[in-house]
Amino acid sequence: MTTLEPTQLEECGELLAGAAREKRRVAFVGGGTALEVGNVGAAADVILSTRRLDRVVEYAPEDQVIVAEAGLTLGRLRELAAPNAQWFGVDAPLAERATLGGLVAVGAFGPRRLRYGGMRELLLGITLVRADGASAMSGSKVVKNVAGFDLPKVMCGALGTLGLVARVTLRLHPAPETTETAVVTGASAAAVVDLVRALRRAQLEPSSVVGLRRGAGRYDVGVRFEGFERGVRHDVERFVALLPEAEHATPNAREAAAFWADHDAARTESTLRVRVNALATHLPEVEALLEPLLGSLEAPRLAWYASLGVGFSSGVPTSVPRALEALTLARSGLVRLGGSLVVDAAPAAVREKFDAFGPLPSAFPVMQALKQRFDPERRLNTGRFVGGL
Amino acid sequence: MLLSQSPRAARAPLSAQLVRRFAGIVGEANCISEPSQLVTYECDALPHLRARPGLVVLPESRDEVVAVMKLAHEAGLSVVPRGSGTGLSGGAMPSEGCLLLGLSRMRRILEIDLDNGWMRVEPGVVNLDITKRLQPHGYYYAPDPSSAQVCSIGGNVAENSGGAHCLKYGFTTHHVLGAEVVLADGSVIQLGGPVLDAPGYDLRGALVGSEGTLGVVTQVIVRICRAPETTRTLLASFASTADAGNAVSLIIAGGILPAAIEMMDKMAIDAVRAVMGVHLPAVTAVLLMDVDGTTAEVEHTAEKAIERCRAAGALEVRQPATAAERDAMWRGRKSAFTAMGRLSPNYIVQDGVIPRSQIARVLTEIARLSEHYGVRVANVFHAGDGNLHPLVLYDASVPDEARRAETCSGEIVRLCVSAGGSITGEHGVGADKAAYMGEMFSETDLETMNLLRCAFDPERRFNPGKVFPTPRLCGDLPGKHYVPHPAELDGRIGRG
Repeated sequence: MTTLEPTQLEECGELLAGAAREKRRVAFVGGGTALEVGNVGAAADVILSTRRLDRVVEYAPEDQVIVAEAGLTLGRLRELAAPNAQWFGVDAPLAERATLGGLVAVGAFGPRRLRYGGMRELLLGITLVRADGASAMSGSKVVKNVAGFDLPKVMCGALGTLGLVARVTLRLHPAPETTETAVVTGASAAAVVDLVRALRRAQLEPSSVVGLRRGAGRYDVGVRFEGFERGVRHDVERFVALLPEAEHATPNAREAAAFWADHDAARTESTLRVRVNALATHLPEVEALLEPLLGSLEAPRLAWYASLGVGFSSGVPTSVPRALEALTLARSGLVRLGGSLVVDAAPAAVREKFDAFGPLPSAFPVMQALKQRFDPERRLNTGRFVGGL
Repeated sequence: MLLSQSPRAARAPLSAQLVRRFAGIVGEANCISEPSQLVTYECDALPHLRARPGLVVLPESRDEVVAVMKLAHEAGLSVVPRGSGTGLSGGAMPSEGCLLLGLSRMRRILEIDLDNGWMRVEPGVVNLDITKRLQPHGYYYAPDPSSAQVCSIGGNVAENSGGAHCLKYGFTTHHVLGAEVVLADGSVIQLGGPVLDAPGYDLRGALVGSEGTLGVVTQVIVRICRAPETTRTLLASFASTADAGNAVSLIIAGGILPAAIEMMDKMAIDAVRAVMGVHLPAVTAVLLMDVDGTTAEVEHTAEKAIERCRAAGALEVRQPATAAERDAMWRGRKSAFTAMGRLSPNYIVQDGVIPRSQIARVLTEIARLSEHYGVRVANVFHAGDGNLHPLVLYDASVPDEARRAETCSGEIVRLCVSAGGSITGEHGVGADKAAYMGEMFSETDLETMNLLRCAFDPERRFNPGKVFPTPRLCGDLPGKHYVPHPAELDGRIGRG
C-alpha cells in the first residue's frame, strides 16, 4: 500500500483530489497512537500520513493562540510554548508521538479536562481538506467567534471520516507556577463520590480528580491543584483538612509522578482498552458493571475521572468468550444508565464480534446525512466510525 | 433529494384552512394571524430589519412543536424559531410570510442534578432564572449575556451567546451538554446528554451557534457551576484607551485569567454617568474586572492585577467596599448600551473581535475612522477576549448621516478581520452581518459549512436568509449533476 507524506497544505489537496479521481480509499495517520480507535473498517488503498506536515504556522504568545499543521506532536507543542510560560490544556498521554491532527480526530483530553476542557474546547479554528481535495477553513484565530457554523467541533472525535484535519488553531493557557497532587488512598467507590461532593462544597477548584482502581472496590484518588504557589499551598492544606484523619494525604512529588504514570498506563497499555461514560455519582454502579470485565482480564486497570464521569478501563483478555460476555454485559448496563462503552483497542477476535460504539444514537440519520454530504463516496477512513460511517 | 419544494413565497398568504389546522395543534390563543398582532413579531432587538411573518404559533410542549413542524413540512413553509427576541443580529427576524415558532411558553425547569452539575430546561426559560433557581444552593449558570434578565436559553443555544464572564468560563457551547431537537420533518433527535461523550459526531457542537438554521430546540441540558469562593471586583482608570489596552495585555501575560475584563471609553463613561447616574470616574478609559476563585488564589491574583494596572499607568484602582457598590459598577457597564441609546437618536452596534494584543492599535484606528466619516463612535467592550462593541452613533434625521455611520461601521468590521479577528464574537451573523461573511471566509469555506446545514435541513426551511451571504442550495450531493432551484430559474436567486 502507498503511504503519502505531504509537506504542504496544497499538496494534501492535490493528493486527495487525485484519490477522488481514481476512486481510491484513503486512511489518515498522524502519530499512530490511536489507530485502533473505532471499528476496523474497510481496507484503504492509500495512507496519507501527516508526519511531515508539522510546521508552526503562527504563534502569538501575547494572544495565547497558536496555528500549527496537523502533524506537529503534542510534545513539540509543549516545548514551543514552555519558554513563554504557556501550555496547552490537553494533557493526553503519549505526547511525544500523538499529533495535533490525531488528537482532533479522536477528540482527545486528559485529566486536566476538568479545568481546561479537551480538544473540543480548545480548538478555535481548523483547516480541513475535503474528500474532493478542496480546503476549507472554519472557526478563527481569536478565542471568541460565532461567525458561521462550528465545524471545528464537528471534526473533533469524527475519526477523520469527514475530511483531513490539516491545520489547527489552538488556545493556549498560562502555565501554572505550581502543581501539587494529593493522593487519597484506599477509598471505596462511594467514598470517591463523596470526595467530589466535598471538594465542591468547599469551593475548591482542583484541575484534575482521578481515581485509580487498586483492586475490587478500592481506589487511590489523585487530586491536583495548580496555579500560583501561595494559593495552591493554601488550597492543598484546606483539602487535606477535609479528609478523615485516616485518609490524610500529604503531597509528595515522587508519589504524584507515579500516580500520573499509572493513569497513563491505564489509558495506553494492554491489548483491550475501553472508555466508559456515566454520571459521576454512578461510580458504584459502574464498578459493579465492570467487575466481570475486570475479573476476566490480566493486569486489569480502571482510571476514573471522578468529577466528570469518564473512565478508561484496560487489561489483557485471558479468554475471548469471557471478555465478550463481560463487555456486552457492561455496555448494556451503562447504556441503561444513560452512558456508553466505547472500544479504543481490542484483539481482533474481540473486534470481530463487538462493535466499537454500541447502539446507534437517535441522531444517526443526521450523522449519515453528514457523512454523505462530506464524503459521498465513503472513501475516507471508511467504516471506522459509529454505525459503519 | 429534489428541490421541487421551494420555501413558500412571500406573496402567497396562508390559507384559512391551514391556519385553522395550526390553531388545532396549539390552541386558538397560541396561534396569531391578525396582521395587527403580527407586527410584534416583525423584528428582534435589531428593529431596522423587519419582515411580516405569515403566522405565529406559540407551542407549549415538545409534542406540539412536533405536530407544528410536521404540518409545516407538509405545507412546505419556512420556519423561523424565536426565543425572547433579544438578539442583535436579526437572527430571529422572520422571513416574509414564514411560520414563526415562538418558544417563550415552553419555560419549565424539568430537572436539576447538583451532584453531577447539570439541569434540564425548556428553551423558553430565561437565562438569569436558571442562576436564580440555583443561587440558594451555591450554584450558577455561567454564560451571562447583558440581556440575561430576559433572553431565553433556547436563543442562547442558537446564538452561542457569550457575556462578560466568558473570558474565563467559556461560551454557551461550553455549557450546553445536550439538547432535544425537532428537525424540519418533525422527527426528534437527542444530542449529547448529562453523560459526557455520547458516541457519534458532535452535532451538539454543530447546533450551538447555528442560529436556528438546523432545528428547533425543545429541551436543553445545561452545565451548572459551583459558585467561586471569592470574587473581587476592580475598577481601574486610565488616561487613554491605549494604556487600558496595555494593562489588559500585561495582566493576561502575567498568567492571570480574570473572570471578566471590560473596557469603557470616555464617551461611554460620560453617557453612563450622565444618563444612568452611575458613579464612574470621569476619565478617558476604565477597566472593570472580576477576579475569582478560591480565596487564597484570589488574594494573590487580585494584587497582581492591580500591580499590572499600575505598571500600565493606571490613575487609580478602586475596589468596591460593599456588594451594593460592586453591583453599581457592573450596572454601569451593563447599562452602557441603554445610556448611549438615550444620548443618540440612533446607533449601530458592532461585535467584531480582534486578537487581544491589538486592542490599542485598533482603537486608534477606529478613532481615525470616526473622524473620517464624521460620526461619533463609543467603545464598551469585552477587552479580555478582544470582543469589541463599537457603537456608531448617528441621527437618522440628518441627511447622509445614516449612510456615513453604516460605512464607518462596515470599515470597523473589515478592520477587525484584517487584524486577524472575526466579524462577530457573540451577537451572531443573522441577517445583519451575512453580507460580511465573505470578508472572513472563502466561497469554499462557506460551501463546506453549508454541507452541515444540508445534512440537517436539506430543504433549507429553517431560518432562510440567515448566516450565509447569498441564498445557498443543498443541490444534489457533491460531485453529482446540478439541479437548479426553481427560485433560481425564475431569477429570484443566484448561485454561490
